[in-house]
This record gives sequence, structure tokens and C-alpha cells, in this order.
Amino acid sequence: MYKRTGWIGTATALLGVALSVLVLWMVFFWVPTEANQGVIQRIFYMHVPAAWVAFMAFGIVAFASAVYLWLGDERADMAAVAAAEGGIIFTGIVLLTGPLWGKIAWGTYWTWEPRLTLTLLLFFIYVGYFMVRAATENPEKGKRFAAVVGIVGALDIPLIHVSVLWFRSLHPEPVVLKAEGPTLDPDMLTTLLTGFLAFTVLFVGVLMLRYGLERAERELNLRQVTG
Amino acid sequence: MTYLRQLRAVIRKDLLQELRTKQRLATMGGFAVLVGVLFNYSIDQAIVAAQDIASGLIWMTLVFAGVMGVGRTFELEAEDGAFQGVLLSPIPRDALYLGKVVSNFVLVYLVVLLVLAVFGVFFQLDYGNHPFMLLAVLAVGALGFVALATLFGAVSSGTALGETLLPILVFPLLVPMVVYGASGTSRLLAGRPIAEVEGNLRMLAAFALVALFAGAGLFRFVVED
Amino acid sequence: MRRSMKLFGSTMVAIVTLAAAAAPLVAQAEELGQQTLGRAYWHVFLAYAIAWIFIFGWIISIARRLGRVEKSLGNLDG
Repeated sequence: MYKRTGWIGTATALLGVALSVLVLWMVFFWVPTEANQGVIQRIFYMHVPAAWVAFMAFGIVAFASAVYLWLGDERADMAAVAAAEGGIIFTGIVLLTGPLWGKIAWGTYWTWEPRLTLTLLLFFIYVGYFMVRAATENPEKGKRFAAVVGIVGALDIPLIHVSVLWFRSLHPEPVVLKAEGPTLDPDMLTTLLTGFLAFTVLFVGVLMLRYGLERAERELNLRQVTG
Repeated sequence: MTYLRQLRAVIRKDLLQELRTKQRLATMGGFAVLVGVLFNYSIDQAIVAAQDIASGLIWMTLVFAGVMGVGRTFELEAEDGAFQGVLLSPIPRDALYLGKVVSNFVLVYLVVLLVLAVFGVFFQLDYGNHPFMLLAVLAVGALGFVALATLFGAVSSGTALGETLLPILVFPLLVPMVVYGASGTSRLLAGRPIAEVEGNLRMLAAFALVALFAGAGLFRFVVED
Repeated sequence: MRRSMKLFGSTMVAIVTLAAAAAPLVAQAEELGQQTLGRAYWHVFLAYAIAWIFIFGWIISIARRLGRVEKSLGNLDG
């Protein structure tokens, strides 16, 4: 059974890789340079889609966690683990590429820019999610604990977002260039949308592979335990 | 009516236990006072006035002392298997959770009062024109804190890492409370009008409500075996 | 032993002298780099490299774990 999920997943992931290569070509050879920020703005076509995927992954984690607690369906927990692992990869990408952009655009690696701050906190929520799971001897309990972390995290994220925005409005930073300047040039918009599509398809594909892995791992554990 | 009676039974049990041992109150209180002493040596009052950073000190002491105290809630009962007995009783899980929140809140708020008194003396703080508003901001903030910390205290005490895991789980989630609580407190300490703090109080209340509902709804998944 | 010490010493002196001479040049080059935004290119490349390394690292780790699990499952069957 897991072999078939693997096949569809592989095809989707390959499509995602192909789209990502297309994005690379668009970013480095096709899209015009943005007038205000210059070359560095090209990080945007990958950074923003990565952030979108990181938050979408957490949406999946929270939804699957709620389903798991509600119905006790093992598949929901497998989906949640798979999405959380992807989420931690993509928050990692956002957190490393954000400062690379910030150093050039804003003159500093780190600012308490609300969206960057939110991503950092999301990263730590993901870390907690995995630590809870890893540190629980009874795996059934670990799954429930992790689900609770996922759900409370999702409920708290809007509040965190509002509060870090508000905090920022109290402490304006002088050197910040507005990232969302005037409306985006159509070519830039096309590149950005392709970026969104590429990372989303890639994520969904790899998510299916990861789900297949989780299922195979659990099948193995079960058979090793029952002999 | 029985729900309230059950709630009261849980609160009574926890507070009585604390009253007899005074274990958590003593450690949290001692911790808070000693933090004040260390803060005194860690800031150069010739450069920064204590009054200006007092709100940050108060809130950080609340968070650290609170994590320490609330983290012990379930460890204490788990030690001799007493919590199994509590779980066997016909008390609904959300009443158990809310009861624990109330008893933890009482402890944490006592420590907050102690911190206000001691820091006030240590750093010659002026608590401004609206001391009751200050107490309200700290109360609502502490309630939100306790609501989250009690839920995740149950989670972390169920893991091999125990209470050391609690800060990792709750600190990221506490950002709204620290943002609105500390800024509200610093405004009050700076003698700003009460109208400037009402928004903070509302956001703290929203945070506390979300935390309470989430905790009451999810607690049963944490404690069931 | 003595000779190698001496060689080491003179090399160090040479390096320090060269470095002292080069320091203003390096600073100038860095300034130029800032001006021509060479550093921005470098950051863009680095950012895309990080993204690809992370994503492919993830895929490779999944593939390896899956291979291992399927092998163990095959062993159980056989």
C-alpha cells in the first residue's frame, strides 16, 4: 500500500522539482531587477513561498492534530508528523534566508520584523512538537501531547502575530525599507506565483513520500513488536 | 451546582496541600526575591534607572518563577501516584484543569504581590497613580500564563524530560502576554493615563480566554492513559 | 629544530608585514564590493543554495529511511 502512495508522491515531488528549476531560471535569467532594492530582492521569490509553505504546513499539523484527538485516527497523526517535519525544514529556510536579505536591504541580519519574529516562534513551536514526541516513552501519549502542542500553537499564532505587529508599531525601526513597495511588476508577479506553485507542489509531493515513510515505519514497528 | 462543588474540591485539595507543605510557595518566593538581588547587581543604576526597566524585570520574574512553580504541580502528585487517584474520581477533566488553574493562579499571584513589594523596596519603585490598574494587568496576565503553563505542565510532566521541557513549550506561546503585559506595566510605571492601558488589558484578557478554553478542552487528552 | 623555528619566525614576520600592507587594500575592496552590490549577488546565491540543500537533504533523508525500513520489512517477510 505504501508503495502506491510513494509512486504518486514521487511524481508530484518530481513535478515540484521541475517547477523549482523553472523558478531558478526565471529568477536568475528572466525577471527584471527591482528598482528600489536591486538584486537582493530576488531572494523574495523563494523566501516568501517558503514562508507560505511553513505556515501551510502548520495549518495541516493543527488540522490533522484536531482530527487525531477527535477521531483517534492513526492516519491523521501520521499526516501531522509528516507535515511538521516539512514545516521545520521550511521555517529553517525562511529563518536563514530572511537575514541574508535583511543584511543587504536593511543593513542588519536580524530585525524584530513581525513576520520574521512570527516565523522564529513558529520554528520553536515545531521544535516543541518534536521534543514532546521524542521524550514520551508511551508513543500513544506522545501523539496526543504533540497534537495538543499543535492545536494550542495554531490558536496562539494569530495572537502572537497581532502582538508582534503591535510591538513593532511602538518601536519603529528607522532604516527599514518597505518590502511591499508599489504594485508588483507583472513579470515579478509571474515569477512569485510560479515560486508559490513550485514550492507548494514540491511540498505536497514530499509530504506524501514522508507520509508513506511514516506508515512503513509504523508497520515495521508493529510487526517487530508482534513478532 | 455539582460542577462548582467539584471545582471547589480540587481547588481546596491543591491549596490545602500547598498550605501544609509550603513547598512551592517557598521556592517560588525565595527565587523571586533572589532574582531581585541578582538584578540589582546586574544593572548599573548610574546608567539605567531601575524605574525604566522595572516592568521587564517584574514580568520576567513572573514568568521564570511561575514556570518553576507550575511545573511542579503534577510532579508532586505523580511522585506517589496520587494523581491516579484523582483521575479515578468522577470529576470531569475540565473541572480538574480549571481547579488547578485557580490554585496555581493563587500561588503565582501571591508571588507577584511579593515581587511588587520586594522590588518596590529594592529599587525604590514608584508604582504610579493607578496601583489597582497595575494589579489588574498583572492579574489578567498571570491568569493567561497559568492557563497555558498548567496545560503544558501536565504535558511535560508526562514526558521523560519532565519540567525542563515546560519553558521550551510555553515560552514561544507567551509572547502576546509579555508584549501586552510588560508594555502596559511600563506605561503605568511611567505615570501614563489609564486609557493608554485599557487596550493592553483587553488583549491580555483575550489571551487568557483563549488559553483557558484551549486548556479546558484539551486537558483530558493530556491526562488520560 | 632551531632552523624550523627560524623559518617559522621569518614566515610569520612576512605574513604580518604583507597583511599590514594589504589591510587597507582589503578594506577598500570590501567597500567597493558594497558599492557594486557584489555582496547582494553572493547573498542571493547563498539563499537559493540553502533552500535547495535543505529541501534535497530532506528528500534524501526520506529516501534513505524508506530504503532502510523497506529492507527490514523485506527481511521480516523472507
